Amino acid sequence: MSLRKDLQELREAEVISAETEERIQQYYQQKSEESGSRLFVVFGILGAILIGLGIILIIAHNWDDLSRPVKTIFAFLPLLIGQLAGIFTLLKRYDYTVWREGSAVFLFFAVGGSISLVSQIYNIPGNLSSFLVTWMLLALPLVYLLRSSVTSLLYIIGSTYYAVQMSYWSHITPPAYLYWLLLLLIIPYYYRLYRVHPDSNYTYFHHLFLPLSVVICLGSLANGYGILLFVAYMSLFGLYYLVGNYWFTGQKNDRNAYTVIGSLGTVIILLILSYDSIWEEIRQESLPFIELLSAPEFWAAVVLSVVAGGLLLRSTRKHAISKLQPVAPVFAVFILIYIIGLYSAVAVILVNVLILLVGLAITRKGARQDHLGILNYGLLVIAALVLCRFFDERLSFILRGTLFVLVGIGFFFANYQILKRRKAHAE
Amino acid sequence: MLNKKTILILFILLALVQLYVPAKMILSREEVIASGSEYKFKTAPVDPYDPFRGRYIILNFQEINVPVADLSDWKEGDDVYAVLGTDEEGFAIFTEALKSPPDADQDYLATQVEYIVENEEKGLLLILPFNRYYMEEFKAPAAEQAYREAGNSTGRKAYALVMIKEGEAVLKDVLIDGVPIREYVENAIDDQP
Repeated sequence: MSLRKDLQELREAEVISAETEERIQQYYQQKSEESGSRLFVVFGILGAILIGLGIILIIAHNWDDLSRPVKTIFAFLPLLIGQLAGIFTLLKRYDYTVWREGSAVFLFFAVGGSISLVSQIYNIPGNLSSFLVTWMLLALPLVYLLRSSVTSLLYIIGSTYYAVQMSYWSHITPPAYLYWLLLLLIIPYYYRLYRVHPDSNYTYFHHLFLPLSVVICLGSLANGYGILLFVAYMSLFGLYYLVGNYWFTGQKNDRNAYTVIGSLGTVIILLILSYDSIWEEIRQESLPFIELLSAPEFWAAVVLSVVAGGLLLRSTRKHAISKLQPVAPVFAVFILIYIIGLYSAVAVILVNVLILLVGLAITRKGARQDHLGILNYGLLVIAALVLCRFFDERLSFILRGTLFVLVGIGFFFANYQILKRRKAHAE
Repeated sequence: MLNKKTILILFILLALVQLYVPAKMILSREEVIASGSEYKFKTAPVDPYDPFRGRYIILNFQEINVPVADLSDWKEGDDVYAVLGTDEEGFAIFTEALKSPPDADQDYLATQVEYIVENEEKGLLLILPFNRYYMEEFKAPAAEQAYREAGNSTGRKAYALVMIKEGEAVLKDVLIDGVPIREYVENAIDDQP
């Protein structure tokens, strides 16, 4: 092994002591063991997921030839196996991630499988959403007792599926309030994971899955005043962005899912609202205050805006306003535009200006940080705005053409400048 | 942090609850099957699909509106207790929709209002919690097809055999012309050239 040789050479040259040599060797040995066991964990979990899903599929075949008692035994068999594996893990293998994750994941699917099979045997239609809730609630304690992050992620997916099934895909579509309770129940685990293992992959996936789940399910609150959800979504994305920028500051940019989701979401909602047709709807919508007080969309918008606003204020107190991240204050500006939009058609122009400013601010940040990714993201925002206007027949062809040419030149020029500067630095 | 013994006890409790839920589902159904009263609901089978629980046939029940005096008393999603009776052919009908369970000697079904029918046949369309009949994956489409072909030519009658007790219902079997649908499908598959 070359490392050993190198160390030997360094010791003989008296660069390092014999003790240091040993410690370095130990360090690398331990590291290679860790990465080996990590691979083992990944395969263990994948295996458990595949077996679990496989059992569900095999069950879903609906074996007509088996008698009711035999089917009933099969309904309980995977469950019992999973539970025994869980008990064995608790007694003998609690310190092994692969055992905790593997048995919890297997049991997660066994619970779903056994309820499924009973539903089949007795022809219980029990709609999909109530099935999912029962399943998730029976599986949730596994996350805490076996400290299983993968089960936690599966639980988040299942809860999201429940809300979507309940509120988007059903004939009678009440807001899935229970989803928010389900989500709340996983937060302590998420918090602990973040505190204890801030840099692990599991934590990263939680950073990704939880905010995305909320993004997907916030729309399920639509109950007559859906148009208010634009405010709620903007504030949610603003909140994500602030959380990502001022909370998870230690994290690398590409691992900070909150910032990415917040930023992309903000831009997408603004682009949707850069068309006048939606503002026409907003202007026509009457919002009687008394009725608003019982509308879930209204409260979602208020709560999210207040929380995001509070965080924004805190961050401006800590950092100078000029150092504020480009997307951070957008949601607050948007609330003003929305209020204007209730009465006046000028709002759509303001939104277009806002997107342009956001795009420019991001581009400027990219240029300052010498970061081509951020720079081009900013330019892409501007390009997207122009592209949206390209299909806007109310603008003249000459104006649109000029805009395109200008943005194109901007792309070239900005990238060229940065590359030139880098070259100058290198020399 | 909890100690290991507590975790183990909690895990065993969880395991018992996980076993209890499906067991409870089984026991309550078994009780309805054992001591409920039997009703025949006229129906037509159709074949959809559930990603977790597999193939089943969905039963489209016919002429199953509940007449009510005043439609404005009801809205979609309301809880309803529908009193059961039979028509002259012996098929089940709903005679009355109530807001609370009826007297002990009447059979009824506890469910929700799915839709309010406002044309001349005005009444309530109910969610019938026995409209799924699970079948083996290759047989369910065949069942639908067999029924459709048979129904077109001779107008055969299909009905669901449902056991009902204290508002709870369990679908026991689906019969086409008195033949259980599983046998019916097997015969149909055998008959094919």
